[in-house]
Amino acid sequence: MRAFAAALAVVVALVAAQGAAPEPASDPASGRLRREVAQLRLERELSTGKGFYLRLDAGRGRLALMLQGVTLDDYAAAGLELGVPEVLFLDRRPGSGWDTEAISKGRLDPERQRDRIEVVAPTPAPTGAPPAGGATPAPPPIPKSAEETVSVPSPYRIVFAEGVSLEVRSSGAGRNRSWLRRQADALGLRVSDLGSALGLGTRERVRLRVTLAAEDAAALYRSLPPDVGLIVLGLPPS
Amino acid sequence: MSAGGALPAGPAPGAPRREKHTPATALLAFARFVRAELRRRIAALWARRRVRAALLGAGLLLLAFLGTGWDFAAATPQAAPSAAGKPVPREAARLSGERERLQAALARRVPRGPWIVIDQTHNRLRLMRGDETLLEAPCSAGSGMVLKEGARGRVWVFDTPRGRFEVLSKTENPVWKKPDWAFVEEGEPIPKDPADRLEYGSLGEYALYFGNGYMIHGTLYERLLGRPVSHGCIRLGKDPLRQVYRQAPLGTPVYIY
Repeated sequence: MRAFAAALAVVVALVAAQGAAPEPASDPASGRLRREVAQLRLERELSTGKGFYLRLDAGRGRLALMLQGVTLDDYAAAGLELGVPEVLFLDRRPGSGWDTEAISKGRLDPERQRDRIEVVAPTPAPTGAPPAGGATPAPPPIPKSAEETVSVPSPYRIVFAEGVSLEVRSSGAGRNRSWLRRQADALGLRVSDLGSALGLGTRERVRLRVTLAAEDAAALYRSLPPDVGLIVLGLPPS
Repeated sequence: MSAGGALPAGPAPGAPRREKHTPATALLAFARFVRAELRRRIAALWARRRVRAALLGAGLLLLAFLGTGWDFAAATPQAAPSAAGKPVPREAARLSGERERLQAALARRVPRGPWIVIDQTHNRLRLMRGDETLLEAPCSAGSGMVLKEGARGRVWVFDTPRGRFEVLSKTENPVWKKPDWAFVEEGEPIPKDPADRLEYGSLGEYALYFGNGYMIHGTLYERLLGRPVSHGCIRLGKDPLRQVYRQAPLGTPVYIY
């Protein structure tokens, strides 16, 4: 009886072990699926939250602003590049799976400025009398539109807390700037890149560079909500 | 006439040949001089150890500068491997099932009925059904203005909130119950009788209430549509408002960004 129980236990253990045995890690189809599933889980998690997020689909070449699984705005990405910091010609590759982890708290760099109009209310007059100051108060000024008030730099970045950033370039940017100005801007960017590659300032380990049509890049800059998340789909594993 | 008094026609034999002085030859001579001088000075500098070290350091720094920065490569999308003819491993089958389940869950997040999207930066409203845009119209979102009350020190910021909301109630010929800020802004005393707060006609024909005192409603100032001029509500033109009112039932999601 004891022998039978032991044999049964061995059989059960073998069956269980076979059921739990993972597929060989080298199976590329399974690896790819595992990655895809991890990204879908992440996307579902984002879609059940209350925050806005960007969805960069490398396969379809689209960048979308999303909220709870709904596409609010969608832009065609003309080009997508993946950048890693390089120090003395040596690339510092990010650990694998950076794009299957949550990427959050994106903020614009340079920051978008908003000038608010402040109005101090006139002192209320007693009932029946005209307001203090004599005539009716002047109507408040009409605020300018976003296009009139927010100038859009190119490129600009959306920097996330996890060391990932999205650099947005607008196609045809800088055509109306002088040659000297463009060279000065390029040098400024080069120095800024040098600092970030050396780890000065905000820590960055991956930079995605996306090129959008000029009006799309501007629209995204002007309307990007604070603290956006990011999900990147369709990239090969790094 | 004596033949011995005549000047010789050319240089005497053995005498050095004299070149003609033209601007081109002068320039050439000057360039030769500059080149020789530069060579001499560089050689003198190179002979100093400090200069050699400085030049070497500068070269290394330049090399470091060129080799430090960001290395970009085109991100090529991952290609789907062809599984034709291959047996599907158990793990792959399980993952494939999970992928389908997750994709279905994500697809369910998109509202089945109509939904409204408001871009408050560009003051545009879209009425959608699935992926189809039923209507796109200019609207007016919050001005972002700050109103300060002198006497009691209260402050109001006229922003439109961002996020997901739902149409909670719908009204025809809505009556506006003016809040305190509406009186403060106009320099009027705040009435004690609630009936004195009611204003007729200023919200247009319809209002769709989506919470916290915010509505999508009409306006008397249609010329200002497309500009951020409201106190936080969404103002819409007469015809688009009529369409939104008809096609958006209670519970319609409203996404504002």
